Amino acid sequence: MTLARSEYRTIVVGAGIVGLFTAYHLARAGAGPILVVDRGFLSNGGSGRNGGGVRQQWETRSTIRLAREAVADYRRFSSEFGYNIWFRQGGYLFLADSPTELARLARVHAVVRAEGLPSELLDADAVGARLDGLAPGAVLGGSYLRSDGTLYPFPAVWGVYEAARRLGVEVALGVDCRGVTVRDGRVAGVATSAGTVATGTLVNAAGGWSGDLSRSAGLDVPNVASRHEILATEPTKPFLDPMVVRASDGLYFSQTMRGELVGGLTVPHPPGTARGVPSSPRFLTAMAGALVGLWPRLGALGVLRAWTGFYDDTPDGLPIVGADPRLAGFVHANGFGGHGFMLAPAATRRVAAAVLGERVDLDPAEFSPGRFVGRTTPTTVERLQLG
Amino acid sequence: MLDVLFPSGIDTLHGFRRPRFLTGLYQRVVRRLSGYSALPDAGAARCLAAPATRWTGPTVVVGAGRAGRAAVRRLVAAGERPLVLDRALRVPEVPGADLLPGSTATFLPPPSGDPDRPFTLLGYSEPARGFAVRARRVVVATGGYDAGLLFGGNDRPGVVTAEGAFALTPTPGAGPLRRAVVIGGGDRAAAAIDRLHESVVAVVAPGEIRPEVVRRASELGVPLFPRTLVRSVVGRRRVRGLRLESRGGGASFSVDGDSVVLAHRRLPHAQLFFQAGARMGWRAGTGAYYPEVSDAGATSVPGLYAAGTGAGVVPDDAEASGERAAAAALAAPIDGPPPRWIPRDGPSEMEGYYRELLAGPRPGRWVACPCEDVLLGEIEEAHRAGYRGIEVVKRYTGVGTGLCQGRYCLPDTLLLLARLEQRSPPEVGYITQRPPVHPTPLAALAALRDEFPAEATP
Ligand SMILES: Cc1cc2nc3c(=O)[nH]c(=O)nc-3n(C[C@H](O)[C@H](O)[C@H](O)COP(=O)(O)OP(=O)(O)OC[C@H]3O[C@@H](n4cnc5c(N)ncnc54)[C@H](O)[C@@H]3O)c2cc1C
Repeated sequence: MTLARSEYRTIVVGAGIVGLFTAYHLARAGAGPILVVDRGFLSNGGSGRNGGGVRQQWETRSTIRLAREAVADYRRFSSEFGYNIWFRQGGYLFLADSPTELARLARVHAVVRAEGLPSELLDADAVGARLDGLAPGAVLGGSYLRSDGTLYPFPAVWGVYEAARRLGVEVALGVDCRGVTVRDGRVAGVATSAGTVATGTLVNAAGGWSGDLSRSAGLDVPNVASRHEILATEPTKPFLDPMVVRASDGLYFSQTMRGELVGGLTVPHPPGTARGVPSSPRFLTAMAGALVGLWPRLGALGVLRAWTGFYDDTPDGLPIVGADPRLAGFVHANGFGGHGFMLAPAATRRVAAAVLGERVDLDPAEFSPGRFVGRTTPTTVERLQLG
Repeated sequence: MLDVLFPSGIDTLHGFRRPRFLTGLYQRVVRRLSGYSALPDAGAARCLAAPATRWTGPTVVVGAGRAGRAAVRRLVAAGERPLVLDRALRVPEVPGADLLPGSTATFLPPPSGDPDRPFTLLGYSEPARGFAVRARRVVVATGGYDAGLLFGGNDRPGVVTAEGAFALTPTPGAGPLRRAVVIGGGDRAAAAIDRLHESVVAVVAPGEIRPEVVRRASELGVPLFPRTLVRSVVGRRRVRGLRLESRGGGASFSVDGDSVVLAHRRLPHAQLFFQAGARMGWRAGTGAYYPEVSDAGATSVPGLYAAGTGAGVVPDDAEASGERAAAAALAAPIDGPPPRWIPRDGPSEMEGYYRELLAGPRPGRWVACPCEDVLLGEIEEAHRAGYRGIEVVKRYTGVGTGLCQGRYCLPDTLLLLARLEQRSPPEVGYITQRPPVHPTPLAALAALRDEFPAEATP
């Protein structure tokens, strides 16, 4: 693989949804030449391994706002990018299985309402009316927001990939970023498997590997790659409209447009990227147990395949967006945990603004890379995490 | 035009265009069309809630075919009591061994650190009883299956694999296939002729036809067409015949028949090796990945042994390879000559076949992936759009993501992409095999939920 140039204005590491959207926004602003490198194939990171969930029910107002903007983006996606991403707004139905969870959903509901979104609190009967045949006593209540939904991630990646390329972005697949060259305290270039390339700006959109990349540039960052597993069943006729989630154990599942039930559950694994992404029997059996325990009629469904990807977790559950104060030219677009796909279109507008040196309309205490420097307790924490 | 009329939104993935205000309706219609059948009701699921089977012992043998049974006999002779399991509901007993019939092994994770029982094998017994088998050693002798074939109308009723034909033909010559065209020239074709017998009307082979097939065909007085391209099905609703063409630019002609029996290529059931992390290698002879196996039957994973045709051994040596794998597992001396293997290098018959076939006309529907209804043209379109490699094309087209998880379509897709990308098939990719091997009921897995403690966090 040879690159078209020896110098780019911006190099984005990672051709996942975040890296591609960043390049797209930059190219639209006419800020080329732009190179996106990815060591794998298109969609080999989290962007090709996620559950496609898009929700606006969060504990923190800033996340709700980003998600809300992204919902509007994804609603427009098909016309803008010419790809049908099957964005179906069947809602997100949160389930509470304890009084504590019920109280938490009520708190979330209040915040979501205050942001102007019409979420509803449901009692156990109302939940049962939506999910026929739940195990008795499994659910105490829930909350529901109709405009949340699910999409099919692959076409979203292709759409942005093709649009970015049409705008002149060079996307080099199979090219590994091996290190960052620093001169006079700022980014001067990157060493890649296709040679050294000069640039003044590097965007770290390496998903689960972004901590590895930042650390290779000498930056102490709190990103932790955590392995998360997911499965799909054989497709059936539609029986489920919303994405169903249970925050107490991170269970989530929805039915795709193709009819498959797709979902995951939090199963702890040792952190880090070193072990790759194997599937575990523990996940398969625990996930099956959770599904059948909640909704016995799912028992007859056959599991078609299971797979695994990385979340890129941060201590406060909020992404890291913006220029690193310690190394000029190093811009973060990472730390998206288990919700980077849904936030990508909106969050990357801010990444592009940071690259262009424009004002970023996000609270630095919540999103900037600098918030972790010399600080141990975060100001805001987003706790409503799944899977 | 539509873009002008409805500028607010036109969806185009795979060519379907519609105005945005119809999104909801359109999605409802598409959802109705998707899915194989309705979700079974709660009653059906309750019937499935059976306790799981657990077995612990020194050795488990997966597959009770010739190789597997030979391995079991050898293990029993050495004083072990192995477990043997097989998908078939009726499997002859092997004295001295535990038997789990009607049982499909679907997940063999890489060995754990536990030196006593490094392997855990998961699966289910019909209809939905989970099992977990813990063992020190695993002998996988899962054999193979009949590959599909690309031609026009290959999804028409009447096109079946040899295995399908056998299931439809309880006794030789009986069954619904009255005028079958058998595709293939090797031992599988010979077996198909034996079973279908007088129902066979012609034998067509992509390559040469072996003497045992020639002998059978001439006994039955059936015409033989070696080195022949299968171009398309004749008949609109169902198979009425086949359009053929002699290879090397020869004449086109047709044969009559009511069915097409695919017996031209056996592919290995190698998924458990992939899952366990065994080193795999390409064998051009059939055009498939097999585990890298020593002559004794050891894979690259300590404790995991491979035997029979699924390991890459030629069918005649399956039994001997089973014995050798068992001997290796027992660390006992191994005698006899090493087994013969399916060739690694050399020309791949189907690669050349498809190169020639696809250069010609393509009448009718050419279905690359029957589960997800992906057409050959869609794979070529992905290539034209710049998508490269099997992992990417699989995601782009959906090829290989259905019920069979790519067993039937990905091997041919690999050959197609090799031709399009002008690379060798192993360069085009290694197909990631995700567990489970076969659809495994949630109820079966749920019954095993306490079987796996959390991984230690260092
Ligand atoms: C099981 C699972 C379920 C999820 N469910 C959801 C969900 O429902 N909704 C949601 O919004 N999000 C979900 N997520 C999270 C979401 O997938 C991610 O947040 C999002 O895809 C991140 O996109 P990205 O572009 O930042 O990273 P990725 O898509 O991971 O892309 C990063 C890319 O960087 C490349 N790379 C890394 N290091 C280098 C290097 N040194 N050189 C070159 N290339 C490199 C990688 O190859 C990779 O392709 C889920 C994640 C998982 C794992």
